[in-house]
Amino acid sequence: MMKRGNLLFATVAITILGIFFGQLSSKGAASRRTSNMNAADTNTVLLPNRSPLVTFRILFMTGSAYDPKGKEGLASLTAAMLAEGGSRTRPYSDITEAMYPMATSFQWQVDKEMTVFSGSTHIDNLDKYYALIREMLLDPGFREDDFKRLKEDAINYLKTSLRGGNDEELGKEVLYTMIYPSTHSYGHQNMGAIGALEKMTIKDVRDFYQSNFTQANLVIGLAGGYPDKFSGQVQADFAKLPKGSPDGLKFSRPLQTPGTRIEIVQRDTRSTAASLGFPINVTRPNKDWPALAVVASYFGQHRSSNSYLYQRLREARGLNYGDYAYIEYFPRGMFQFEPDPNLGRQQQIFQIWIRPVEPANGHFVLRAALYEYDKLVREGMSREAFESTREFLSKYVNVLTATQDAQLGYALDSRYYQIADFPTYMRAQLAKLTLDDVNRAIKLYLKSDAMRIAVVTKDAEGLRDAILSNKPSPITYNAPKPKEITDEDRIIEAYKIVVRPADVTIVPVDRVFQ
Amino acid sequence: MKVLLIASLILCLPLLSLAQKSRKAFGYDYNIDDLPNGLRVVTVPTDYPNLVALYIVVQTGSRNEPEKGKSGYAHLFEHLMFRGSEHYSGQERDAILKKAGADSNAYTTDDRTVYHEVFSKDDLDKVLELEADRFQHLKYSADGYKTETKAVLGEFNKNSADPEEKAFEVLRATVYQRHTYSHTTMGFIEDIEDFPNQYDYSLQFYGRYYRPEYTTIVVVGDLKRDGALAMVKKYFGDWKRGNYVPDIPTEPDQTAPREGHVDWPSETLPLVYVAFRGPAYSDYKKDKAALDLLAPIAFGENSDLYQKLVLQEQKLDSLSYTFEDRADPELFLVAAKLKDVKDTDYVRQQILETYQHFAKEPVPKDKLESTRSRLRYGFVLGMDSSEAIAGALASYIGLRRTPLTIDKLFALYDTVTPEDMREMAAKYFVDSHRTIVTLSTRGVAK
Repeated sequence: MMKRGNLLFATVAITILGIFFGQLSSKGAASRRTSNMNAADTNTVLLPNRSPLVTFRILFMTGSAYDPKGKEGLASLTAAMLAEGGSRTRPYSDITEAMYPMATSFQWQVDKEMTVFSGSTHIDNLDKYYALIREMLLDPGFREDDFKRLKEDAINYLKTSLRGGNDEELGKEVLYTMIYPSTHSYGHQNMGAIGALEKMTIKDVRDFYQSNFTQANLVIGLAGGYPDKFSGQVQADFAKLPKGSPDGLKFSRPLQTPGTRIEIVQRDTRSTAASLGFPINVTRPNKDWPALAVVASYFGQHRSSNSYLYQRLREARGLNYGDYAYIEYFPRGMFQFEPDPNLGRQQQIFQIWIRPVEPANGHFVLRAALYEYDKLVREGMSREAFESTREFLSKYVNVLTATQDAQLGYALDSRYYQIADFPTYMRAQLAKLTLDDVNRAIKLYLKSDAMRIAVVTKDAEGLRDAILSNKPSPITYNAPKPKEITDEDRIIEAYKIVVRPADVTIVPVDRVFQ
Repeated sequence: MKVLLIASLILCLPLLSLAQKSRKAFGYDYNIDDLPNGLRVVTVPTDYPNLVALYIVVQTGSRNEPEKGKSGYAHLFEHLMFRGSEHYSGQERDAILKKAGADSNAYTTDDRTVYHEVFSKDDLDKVLELEADRFQHLKYSADGYKTETKAVLGEFNKNSADPEEKAFEVLRATVYQRHTYSHTTMGFIEDIEDFPNQYDYSLQFYGRYYRPEYTTIVVVGDLKRDGALAMVKKYFGDWKRGNYVPDIPTEPDQTAPREGHVDWPSETLPLVYVAFRGPAYSDYKKDKAALDLLAPIAFGENSDLYQKLVLQEQKLDSLSYTFEDRADPELFLVAAKLKDVKDTDYVRQQILETYQHFAKEPVPKDKLESTRSRLRYGFVLGMDSSEAIAGALASYIGLRRTPLTIDKLFALYDTVTPEDMREMAAKYFVDSHRTIVTLSTRGVAK
């Protein structure tokens, strides 16, 4: 099964680390075994314990940013062929048959710089489960019938699931394509482009596998109650992969032409969905990342009523189902409360997600989002908001890492970013953060003169004309509002969106991801 | 912290080997305490450190909406419960939960509404106080009410972009003509649009169902039963019992097959939904248990049908089934997403023949055994945190108010035979109880 998503980051630092993970390894009850995470020359992240569950996260430092030109989608298709195709000795149906009584599966997720395969098994079935996934990853079948099926799946995902069944994810993904031009390694959807996928061959997949699924790109993540010698066995098995060499690719911050740009995707839909954003040059190890994490949580904590935007747009005005802000890629946000790990990226964007509103309020809500964003940049955070958000995040890291699988995922990400284990890192950084740090980070990173806005709506021309006319877009409610809100509405309804006519484009939905 | 967490997993997952017999599916120690007012409290201490998961389960869902023009209120209430109560405004409530580092939300299904939070254990007392206030003294103005109804419309609108939601909506409305499962949890769109005019009715709904006899508090995590129970008693002890019992209509027998179709306005993969009327949840009658075991064998990823249509002939993008545990008789649904609308009749026929096949032929014994194994391992693999345990419990609490039903259900699975499965397939998969809904892009001919 695949995680339909994309994502974040990348440093191809395979052989480092370990010292940061010393504290993750077991003491106390789990001390019967030692972890090799202190060994600086190994490519493993091990979290042994005595749980009867064993969790795998097999990570390769490759992804859609490594798709060759004209073969956009190859990394995803290769991962799909490994996790949803047969091995050399077993057709895919045999594999699912063998997994069936164990209730196990093998998932894959491809982002820009990371490809991860994950699954958990009860310890009763460890040997059988591991034998299957080992074969899938190390001795793939690359059969034509699997290839045909998975290629069609990828095309259908882009064509109908994304274009035709989920306006919110569509808007978010379109925003990324606006920010990263096609010349940038991040400049296409992780699942690829329809035209490129249609031309792809099984030889492409074989070649990509050979050159990217190497020991140099590999990090083995294991957690749970696996036997003492098991991790050594896994390492020995995976030494069968070609050695390769870390390519250490650096992905640059995308240059943005100054000025606002708006892309309106025209689709026959009941409502209007919008995503806004711009690149930020900050990832987890940056000293200002924790400050921006506080800002994003305060301004728009994912799926939480505890955030400023949500309170202003949904709670006070009933405009939609929710409004959030992000400093890291977070795909599938409409389906889950916590982000998936292993979406590390060298480059990130700041993003505001406006969930669908009634089309009549489309222009107003864009103005409201920009008004609130400008206000954030102008005024920063108050002491009270800072203190409460910092306290929230210090505790919320426990929620983010509540499961063994999440702990392992975050540990792999911390290895990639070269920071201490995430909860420890966050608590330590948050403890020393000041309000000044946060407000300085807002001015430094969140002030942009190159806002990009993706909108999905039916009456694209009507919205474009309204935006360009800059005429007031008053909002009406079904109930009286406090004066504070109606006064603010007067400002928002006339809030000027400065954009050149040439920078508001309309794209029919069937041309997206083509 | 991390060290503590790792060390403590030992006790959290007591099922060291499922291969051992005499096993309980729900392997955690728990207590059930009933307060005099009818409120039930289920406490499950685990050794996952720091966190407590609080799930408050109200046995009210869209099933409890039998009045004409009044669908969607259970779900609307899930929203209204966040708009403040007598002693805490919505903002004050948010501030307290934020301080607790809480992940807080709620959901509504056909049969239940569940309010859930996971947060630092030290904040349990305060969070219970907060919860008690909104369950006993919810307070929202007529204006605030109207604003929230718009947020619900926004939720309907975002869902409406998904063709699968629409096909399911039409299926429900086609199958059920009297019973409240005729509408989805969201409700009929005309009722959602009428929400703003129904403030008084909303108060009535709250008075009927937000009562201790409908409610079970589930607390799982880093806690002791006595302490948690004392806190619940302190804040919920004075809650007044109600006396409302809804008159939920029984669905009359279906006497002929039914069909429905949806024209979708934009490009989409065609859908074929083939459903039969199935039984309600039971932990002692074999009907549902037998069909639960049959479903993955007949229509799961390892089924012959899946192998043929998805892997070999590659006519389908996906094939799946749903057969939820429900308080009242629920649909056994097989959903196919086609690659080409021209295959609609063929796929539909293949699905129908598969239903019929299992009504005639018993499944092989080894297939049954591997399915039993799958259900058990699947249940255990899902419970990997206090929140996951509470979440798994909530669905059964919503049906029977006790974790015991889980052990009874899995014990029942152990008694099902291939002949039971065949017999139940023959009983339920009959033509007159069948409904088929298709969906395809408008203007694209089969």
